[in-house]
Amino acid sequence: MTPDILTAQLTAVLFAAAPLILAALGETVAERAGVINLSLDGTMLFAAMVAFAGARASGDAWLGLAAGAGAGLAVAGVLALLGLVLGASELAVGFILTLFCRELAYFLGHGLARQPGPDLGVLAIPGLDALPLLGRAVFRQSPVVLLSVLAVAGVWYFLMRTRPGLLLRAVGESPSAALARGLPAKRVQVLACLAGGALAGLGGACYSLSVKPGWGHPQGCEGAGWIVLAIVIFGGWRPVRVALGALFFAAIQVAGILLQDVLPGLSGTLFQIAPFPVMILTLLVVNARRSAAFREAARRLPLLGRLMPRTAGGAPGAIVGALDKGF
Amino acid sequence: MPAAAARHDRGQCLQIAFEHPVDVRLSHIVKRFGAVTANDDISLHLGPGRIHGLVGENGAGKSTLMRMLGGTLAPDSGRLTVSGRDFTRLTPESAAACGIGLLPQDPLDFPPLTVWENFALGGGPVLGRRQARTRLEAACARLGFCLPPDTPVSRLTVAERQHLELARLFDRNARLLILDEPTTGISPAQRETLFAVLRDFVADEGRLAVLVTHKLAEAKALCDTVAVLRQGRLVGRFDAPLDTEAILDAMFGGTTVHETGQPAPRTPGTPDKKAATAPLVRLAGVTFADEKAVLEGLTCTLPPGAIIGLAGIAGGGQEIFLRGLAGLARTVAGRLTVSGRDLAGKPLSRFRAAGIRFLPAARLEEGLFPGLSPLDHLRLAFPDRRRTVADLFASRCVNGFRLTNTPDAPSKSLSGGNQQRLLLSLIPDDTRLLLAESPTRGLDAASIAQIWSHFRDRAAGGATVLFFSEDLDELMTHADRILVFYDRRIVADLPAVAGTPDDAHRLGDLMTGQAAREELRP
Amino acid sequence: MPLVRAAATLLLALAVTMGILFLAGAPPVHTLAVLATGSFGSSTAILRTLSAMVPLLLCGAGLCLTFAVNLWNIGVEGQIILGSIGSLWVLRAWDATGSVAPVLYQIGALLAAMACGAAWALFSGLLRTHGRVHEIFSGLGLNFVALGLSLWLILGPWKRPGMASMSGTEPLPALLRLPAWGGRPMSLVGLVLAVCAFGLVAWLLRRTFFGLALSAVRHNPRAAALLGLGPEKRMLAAMGLCGALAGLAGGLLVAGLYHRLIPSISGLYGYTAILAVLMVSGSLPLLPLACLFFAALTVGSIQLPLELGLDSSLSGVIQGVLLLLVFAVRRLRPTDAGRSA
Repeated sequence: MTPDILTAQLTAVLFAAAPLILAALGETVAERAGVINLSLDGTMLFAAMVAFAGARASGDAWLGLAAGAGAGLAVAGVLALLGLVLGASELAVGFILTLFCRELAYFLGHGLARQPGPDLGVLAIPGLDALPLLGRAVFRQSPVVLLSVLAVAGVWYFLMRTRPGLLLRAVGESPSAALARGLPAKRVQVLACLAGGALAGLGGACYSLSVKPGWGHPQGCEGAGWIVLAIVIFGGWRPVRVALGALFFAAIQVAGILLQDVLPGLSGTLFQIAPFPVMILTLLVVNARRSAAFREAARRLPLLGRLMPRTAGGAPGAIVGALDKGF
Repeated sequence: MPAAAARHDRGQCLQIAFEHPVDVRLSHIVKRFGAVTANDDISLHLGPGRIHGLVGENGAGKSTLMRMLGGTLAPDSGRLTVSGRDFTRLTPESAAACGIGLLPQDPLDFPPLTVWENFALGGGPVLGRRQARTRLEAACARLGFCLPPDTPVSRLTVAERQHLELARLFDRNARLLILDEPTTGISPAQRETLFAVLRDFVADEGRLAVLVTHKLAEAKALCDTVAVLRQGRLVGRFDAPLDTEAILDAMFGGTTVHETGQPAPRTPGTPDKKAATAPLVRLAGVTFADEKAVLEGLTCTLPPGAIIGLAGIAGGGQEIFLRGLAGLARTVAGRLTVSGRDLAGKPLSRFRAAGIRFLPAARLEEGLFPGLSPLDHLRLAFPDRRRTVADLFASRCVNGFRLTNTPDAPSKSLSGGNQQRLLLSLIPDDTRLLLAESPTRGLDAASIAQIWSHFRDRAAGGATVLFFSEDLDELMTHADRILVFYDRRIVADLPAVAGTPDDAHRLGDLMTGQAAREELRP
Repeated sequence: MPLVRAAATLLLALAVTMGILFLAGAPPVHTLAVLATGSFGSSTAILRTLSAMVPLLLCGAGLCLTFAVNLWNIGVEGQIILGSIGSLWVLRAWDATGSVAPVLYQIGALLAAMACGAAWALFSGLLRTHGRVHEIFSGLGLNFVALGLSLWLILGPWKRPGMASMSGTEPLPALLRLPAWGGRPMSLVGLVLAVCAFGLVAWLLRRTFFGLALSAVRHNPRAAALLGLGPEKRMLAAMGLCGALAGLAGGLLVAGLYHRLIPSISGLYGYTAILAVLMVSGSLPLLPLACLFFAALTVGSIQLPLELGLDSSLSGVIQGVLLLLVFAVRRLRPTDAGRSA
């Protein structure tokens, strides 16, 4: 594979992964604080619509991006109000919101279908874009890629190296211990939920303003939010691994498009749905690594032991078992 | 409490805490949980420079009272006065600002985070890395501890987690330390260290410590003055030197013969007879594995009709042993035979079919269905008798186990003792091996006595009862045989132990790995 | 009082909806009138509404079983699709020249539909019980897979002779279609089956040991395991039964309504059924009412694109607004019925 083709593939993968990375980082922040946002899929679609509408109305794609983030923030606000403040079932409200936002997006966006609109274009940083391999892939491409890279660094630094980040992680590990120490657990959770929603909205906006420009029924980013939820689990709630997980799924999508050219017989639908069985498989693998059977096998074969999850933890304390609640 | 008022209180409180010695007055505190009155018009004065004991049975209301001082509960009526300042209720923030620090019974920290991170999250503004590490070192030096700052708290022992909490409270200028049952889960030697720290703490005249305990011996050893609670009321105040009899009278209401579960005297002839019968359980090179850990190389036999105790600190492996025998943890190697049946690697249903039952320590979380009634529990446990459940409840639960006669109340509303009685009533009479995890934890003396009487009846009927207890006294009193665990191995297999303080210390040493593997001669 | 609360919530939802319509530039009152006449304005409309209620009631009843063990069976859409595929597979095997009565094929088709739906649900369930993959993810993933499968069949092996069409497969011959009611687009068979299924689920949950065991598993799976109740088996049974009912809904959609397999045949019936169960908080007696209401919204909104140029997703919008408000009101002024067990 020549360097040119490799760069081209890398470019495509980073491009496709950018919205996933942004949304996944947002959900990581929220879940690290103990909040599960099931409305991601609807939020991203709704934000895509709002971003496109905003960009068309103002003529500026960047304003549209901001509008998308705002839409995500608003939806997360509803979730925070009903789920955190009023104490309704987080899962139920999130699920209702995901359907609601999707329907609302289709309804309000009815007139926007197949309309032209501003695009974020290409951002080139002279000098950096001459770097081998990564140069073109990151620094001469849609700004969403650079945005996603900065987001990974920013979220990692925030969670792991700052005091508010430490507080957020603590609240997610044990809200009761936080409360007993007089730490503002509820406030932290609400803020984390809002931040997560804003990032998810940003991700959705990246779709309609760059990665899959425009609006339609369907838009093309349907289902992305559910994959993002799986990516967060797959990445072990750690920002860098989550981003790698997003890249993995984007690579599958890109590979699908590639293979379609090579093997035209295979139906297009197969590649559209390919990420979902992969999602199930990755979750199986992640859970299998923690199971007793694997543990036993790892004891017998020390080589397998290297594949064992090194840290004792997995989900933040407040999330463990949160998915097993009813409504 | 509105935020502004709370801040105002906190500011004033902070001032006061530094200017005056801490002095606490509880006036006519009342707290109810539904129909139960946990604290009934309690008025108590805690003066500085002393260690106060708050003594009473499990369920007497001690923890509830202290949680109100700690700010996590609000009294229904009454007043709290701290260093001259009145409050209708405290919050965790205002309590901390008044210099009150509460060390709860179960550690309330952040296990995956490191020691310095836990320390930095002490309440108030979060500390930065360097600042936290410096202050942690200073606090530990002052208290005489040694804590590695970068270790995740989940890897610390219970005693070390307590030390971290104390360091944190000390650093935050706690001048009133409340310790709620701090000696469960730590060895006698670690207990002595803790007591030394407390004595040192109150040596500064402006400070105060409260020890909440149901163990009279500890209160006697440490406290200058003792307040006794019984069924939510304050029934006595005693100053040092403490009169054991008087305190016991106050705790139990003056009954001269209180049931403390003294066992029937062990007949010397029986050991030979028991040795002759075939063992009930035989383990040969068995390895149990569950999600947390692995217990390897187990080889021993358990006879029928015995009461066998397991001793060990958290992580010693005794929990996995119980669960492995119950069929809840997998047997990954070796031969496990119960009544001649090979059960290694078999599913839980086979263990149950062999007459093995497990009694979990977390009664509500693992053993009962919180929203279902005792009648429903009976229907589920005895499906073939579900048409006659009402009669079964009356005969078995109420008459046999002395469960309160509330057949339709959700099990979460039952008291600890009643929950345990319900759990026991669900275990069929023909059970051959009963595995009990901390069966009497948190229960009042009457329930405890009843449970031990029940266990002895089962043992007399040929069943074997295997139990784990953090209470060394209970182990030494009731067990015919004690298996001591340390670091996921059986380090000692002791016949019945006399129960002297010396024995307790040696047992504690074995549990914490201080002693070499040796048999303890009675 | 609960009636007053319900009425107040409904009015509030109406107000919010009017606001959204205003935002979209649609005439609020006229829109609601179109919805009303579209669902109840004529006998045809009423039959259409009842017809839409059938899959909702079937899935809703099944979901009550899965919610009884705290399972979020989001995969119900995929189970409907698999059911429709299974029934069409049997019906396509009918040979016009053969001597076997069509009604046997119809029964076979419905049984196949139940079997396929149950199998798809068990797939999800096994991933949960033995793979510890949460059923939300496996259900969703399998939904998309089912969607892809149905699309592939419609455009590939089962395509109409001549050209593949997104309007679905070749319509069934008249003999194989389930008997309609007075020539109108609805089959009585479906309604009868739905009511029977509802009764069956109610009996299972309220009056059998199985129902009590499900309740126990919901309250505390670990305690259920200790008592020998086999929580995993119960979960799989609930999933299987729900899948069978959802599959039956799919089979009825093929044999009784559309008479062919169309893309997205589940048409959000599955998700809407989840919303209906959430709205009544799992309470069985109110479920048929909720299903009727949601069916009315769905059917009424079909007219919107034609009459007002609006997207028919308005029904989903109204459903969402109503649900959110119901949840909010429930938390603001809880009654005994509102608190979950």
